[in-house]
Amino acid sequence: MNDGPDPPPGGAGHAFWQSLDELAQSPDFLRRLEQRFPDEYARLAELAASIDRRRFLQLTAATLALSGLAACGPAPIAGLVIPYVDQPEDTVPGKVRLFASALTRDGLATGILARQIMARPINIEGNPDHPASLGASDAIMQATVLDLYDPDRSKWVIDNGEVSSADALVTALVNRMPQLGKTQGEGLRVLTRASSSPTLSAQFAALTRLYPRLRRHHWHGGWRDNLREASRRAFGRVVAAVPKLDKADIILAVDSDLLNEAPGHLAHARAFARRRRELASGGRGNRLYAIESTPTVTGANADHRFVVAAAQMEPVLRALAAHIGIGPREWAGGAAPSWLPAVAADLAQHKGRALVHVGPYQSVSLHLLGHAINAGLGAFGQTLEFLEPPELDTSDEISSLSSLVADMHKGEVDTLLILGGNPAFTAPPDLGFDEALKRVKFSLHLATHVNETTRLCRWHLPRAQELERWSDARAFDGTATIVQPQIEPLYGGWSEHELLAVLGGAVRPQGHDIVQATWQGEAKRRGIADFATFWREAVRAGVVPGTRSPAAPVTLSPNIISEISATGQTDPPALSVLFRPDPWLRDGRYANNGWLQELPRPLTKLTWDNAVLVAPALAKERGLANEDVVAVETEAGRVKGPVWVMPGQAADAVTVLVGFGRRVVGRVGAGTGFDGFPLRSSNTLTEAPLRRLAKTDQKWPLATTQVHQHIHDPLHPGDILRFGTVEELRRNPDMFKGQSPQDSLYPAWPYPRYAWAMAINLSSCIGCASCTMACAAENNIPVVGKDQVLRDREMHWIRVDRYYRGDENAPTETLFQPVPCMHCEDAPCEVVCPVEATMHDHDGLNVMVYNRCVGTRFCSNNCPYKVRRFNWINYTKRDPRLDLAWNPDLTVRARGVMEKCTYCIQRIREAEITADREGRRVRDGEVRTACQAACPTEAIVFGDQNDAHSAVRKRKDSPLDYGMLEGLNTKPRTTYEARITNPNPALAEG
Amino acid sequence: MAAVFGPSANLAMKLVLIVGALGLLLLYFGPWIFTRIDYSTGVQWAYPQPVPFSHRHHVGGDGIDCRYCHTTVEVAASAGFPPTHVCMTCHSQIWSNARMLEPVRLSLAEGKPLHWRRLNRLPDYVFFDHSIHVAKGVGCTTCHGDVNEMPLVWRGATLSMSWCIDCHRNPAPALRPKNEVFNPNWHRTAKTPSGQALMAEYKIDPARLFDCSVCHR
Repeated sequence: MNDGPDPPPGGAGHAFWQSLDELAQSPDFLRRLEQRFPDEYARLAELAASIDRRRFLQLTAATLALSGLAACGPAPIAGLVIPYVDQPEDTVPGKVRLFASALTRDGLATGILARQIMARPINIEGNPDHPASLGASDAIMQATVLDLYDPDRSKWVIDNGEVSSADALVTALVNRMPQLGKTQGEGLRVLTRASSSPTLSAQFAALTRLYPRLRRHHWHGGWRDNLREASRRAFGRVVAAVPKLDKADIILAVDSDLLNEAPGHLAHARAFARRRRELASGGRGNRLYAIESTPTVTGANADHRFVVAAAQMEPVLRALAAHIGIGPREWAGGAAPSWLPAVAADLAQHKGRALVHVGPYQSVSLHLLGHAINAGLGAFGQTLEFLEPPELDTSDEISSLSSLVADMHKGEVDTLLILGGNPAFTAPPDLGFDEALKRVKFSLHLATHVNETTRLCRWHLPRAQELERWSDARAFDGTATIVQPQIEPLYGGWSEHELLAVLGGAVRPQGHDIVQATWQGEAKRRGIADFATFWREAVRAGVVPGTRSPAAPVTLSPNIISEISATGQTDPPALSVLFRPDPWLRDGRYANNGWLQELPRPLTKLTWDNAVLVAPALAKERGLANEDVVAVETEAGRVKGPVWVMPGQAADAVTVLVGFGRRVVGRVGAGTGFDGFPLRSSNTLTEAPLRRLAKTDQKWPLATTQVHQHIHDPLHPGDILRFGTVEELRRNPDMFKGQSPQDSLYPAWPYPRYAWAMAINLSSCIGCASCTMACAAENNIPVVGKDQVLRDREMHWIRVDRYYRGDENAPTETLFQPVPCMHCEDAPCEVVCPVEATMHDHDGLNVMVYNRCVGTRFCSNNCPYKVRRFNWINYTKRDPRLDLAWNPDLTVRARGVMEKCTYCIQRIREAEITADREGRRVRDGEVRTACQAACPTEAIVFGDQNDAHSAVRKRKDSPLDYGMLEGLNTKPRTTYEARITNPNPALAEG
Repeated sequence: MAAVFGPSANLAMKLVLIVGALGLLLLYFGPWIFTRIDYSTGVQWAYPQPVPFSHRHHVGGDGIDCRYCHTTVEVAASAGFPPTHVCMTCHSQIWSNARMLEPVRLSLAEGKPLHWRRLNRLPDYVFFDHSIHVAKGVGCTTCHGDVNEMPLVWRGATLSMSWCIDCHRNPAPALRPKNEVFNPNWHRTAKTPSGQALMAEYKIDPARLFDCSVCHR
């Protein structure tokens, strides 16, 4: 055990916990702690008991006799070489090439560079030149690749439940056009999702000229309706409020997931983390307050996170406004929590450098309050910028959808095109969308997957996936990107542009020509003579220059205060249900994506299921525990789902995550979670009064990874996590200095050439899990399924550990720690391997030789960081993804083989070989691991620590640098920089 | 009482013992030997191809450089395989009606690629890179054999791991001056710099070449 010098303060003495079981030190938790695969031993003992000696010897003999067969490899003459007929210019077989494009979320673009090998996209990286990406990418963007290669995608045109053809569909559509032309498009409706595509906008303009009575509707779940309505009331129209976190010293997030969900969140997270890192070097840094009823990733990263009851959100924000000097005095009365004056004072002292951000799910009056406070703090034009909105349609979504449904009921709609989405699943049940849709004579659903809506439509047309089609889209700040296909449509899908062009009279329309025509028009307007160059350059760069939205001149309505008082909540319910999209599946769109299903959610660490999040206090009151099934009832409906006791949840609100429980879905999404959408009604889209919360006697196993691979050192907790406040650091700059390595029995091994190493900055990490997803995409990590996750068998090479500190109802701190392989110089795993399948190479990498591994799992048992993963079953064979999806640059591992993080050795080798060929050393930054490339906050840095000028060397020279479990003398190559927080001294913990 | 076993039983017994012993030996050494004969390794074993392409004619006779067809050998892991278009650069002019070339013309006309039988193949967990070998002075014929003598191509070496490692342990004998890498007729002469000298020139460190992670990832 560790008997080195006492670890530094900061960590020591603080109680961290990852789960409520741990906080309570339950016997089950203690049992799990001691073993790497706690349930495996019990299973083995069971197996052993069922086999007698004779049978055992028989099996052993058979194993021995048959083991020779495993050596029988393929015949030397195997396979074919199939060259091109006409090889495209510049194609180099096996070389990675990057192509710019964009992916959209809620209609807004984030620029990407798709990494292609042999003309197929393997994974996604962010486009450094794109304002919404800046080179980073998030988990959903990464997982789009798997969506592309999903074998359950829709492949056929469907007519009334029968397989048909695109020609038949086009004929049917064209046959309706004379009639539509005669009636000027009476009864012709198009329903879209949120979109910002200039081409789509131009197409609608052209169609409206052709069919003046055509009506367009939009529905994206109605999540952002309140935000838009508030903008209309405050400024007279919808404008995009873009926070500028690089300028903000004090940030107050009001139920806002600014860093992980808001439009442009990757850019916001980067700006936030850059300011945060200033703290360690004595800079001004920033301070983040969060008030919320249900935990968000942004709240988890706050210096002060305050749990506020859902019913109290508005009174509290009013009181805050009053303390700053905005609004009538009586607002200050009532329930003002003890922390409020200090927060108000802090904001007021930083006029022009403070920012309040209200999350989209909050009520209109809360948004109005946010605008009023921001105006009072002088945020406009400083920390908050107003731009013309990039979206195509900024009208109210729910009114748009309900007017469509009403017309469908009346029989006024006879041709309906649904361009993407799944309104039958997401529409509030009180509208009766399903019934109404059945009355439409010609309904057409364009989608990548067959879903709930497909079943109700006459026609279904497979849609080209985002990586398969030409389109365009704008970022949160308006910057446009031309979306270019990365691959030919695998199943002959159509884009919405091509479909609309048919309606416009085009014959065999091509997406490329339609999109190009839009930009030809734009080029003409701008007076660009050489369109070919303009187009080529815009497509190549992934950004069209000069398309950022112009600033929107705004004046705050003078009646805003009375407006707030008028719209305010009158009689808050005792208990509410909050609706939130699942962090990964969103509105259910990604339900058939195994990567996202299995990626642990940032805070709950749940996989394969959603849950009803209940506060510990409420759970205690109602006698609820994790995995208990409860019936949740609102005015609109009633659903049953498992409970997840959520630290930091407000006691007067339960949160239902929607997006699961899809009924018409592929084989991956089938049977996962429960559907929470029936609880919503058209006037309670984000929050509803809770009528009843009743415990049933059922149980629903939840696969959470929060207690898996639990590392712990009860004597020295600071050996795992180190953190402190900026104040403590100022007093004692060496507070995080690690222990110097102790003497070893073995002589130190020299690494004269390269010494690859990684540094992870814990102040920057926001816990978004982009790294885990990027690693899975790059390194052929298989999806194992819920039953395997329940047995601790998930395969992710880099996990993000989440720790809490303090009381379960209101944890004072939430910390995230990404844990890849430490690549210890004195690696404990290596000495126990009987076949030398894991060993060091000359650059100090702890390598895993799969073809040597015989699967004893000794290494995993001996790894203090629990970073090794074992292929218990032939996961890669069971994986349904198309073979095209695997990365050909590294091995696809088979059953019985141990694996772990390799520091993306394929990328290291590629760079080394290139450098070696050119007779030079690998340059700093030439090798970027997948996790590093994805990270929005630049928390992960990788490079050669022998190079005195490398970024990783600089991080390692920081006084904050420490190694995890340093006392074990493993000399890890992956080290951490301690987390520095910036709490308000006026709120110092008592 | 008559003997149960007649005199011939002695012979039979001896035969049984000898055949049995031989059988055991064969069972033990047989697989060991079998995996090493040319039939199993594929060395010197030519197979029919859709077009009887002769390296002896094109390389040995016409003197076409390796890189004319295997274009990416200097820049990528894969040496590259000629698309139909490359064949037709010449054969649209010469032998343009040869019956032997019918599949090539058909491939171009129909846009369907030729399906060649693969001869040199490594297991999926081995990541070989042509470009670095060529850059470090390993000649094509060092591994692929005397391609310029092959009417139909065959494997020049076993490509087994022990064969790879022999060279990775002691690369000096396999090295050539850089300008001779693509010369199929090259032979070491008295004037050639020694392998050791070339190793120093190419900065080859044999200790590193022996890391598992050089080929396995």
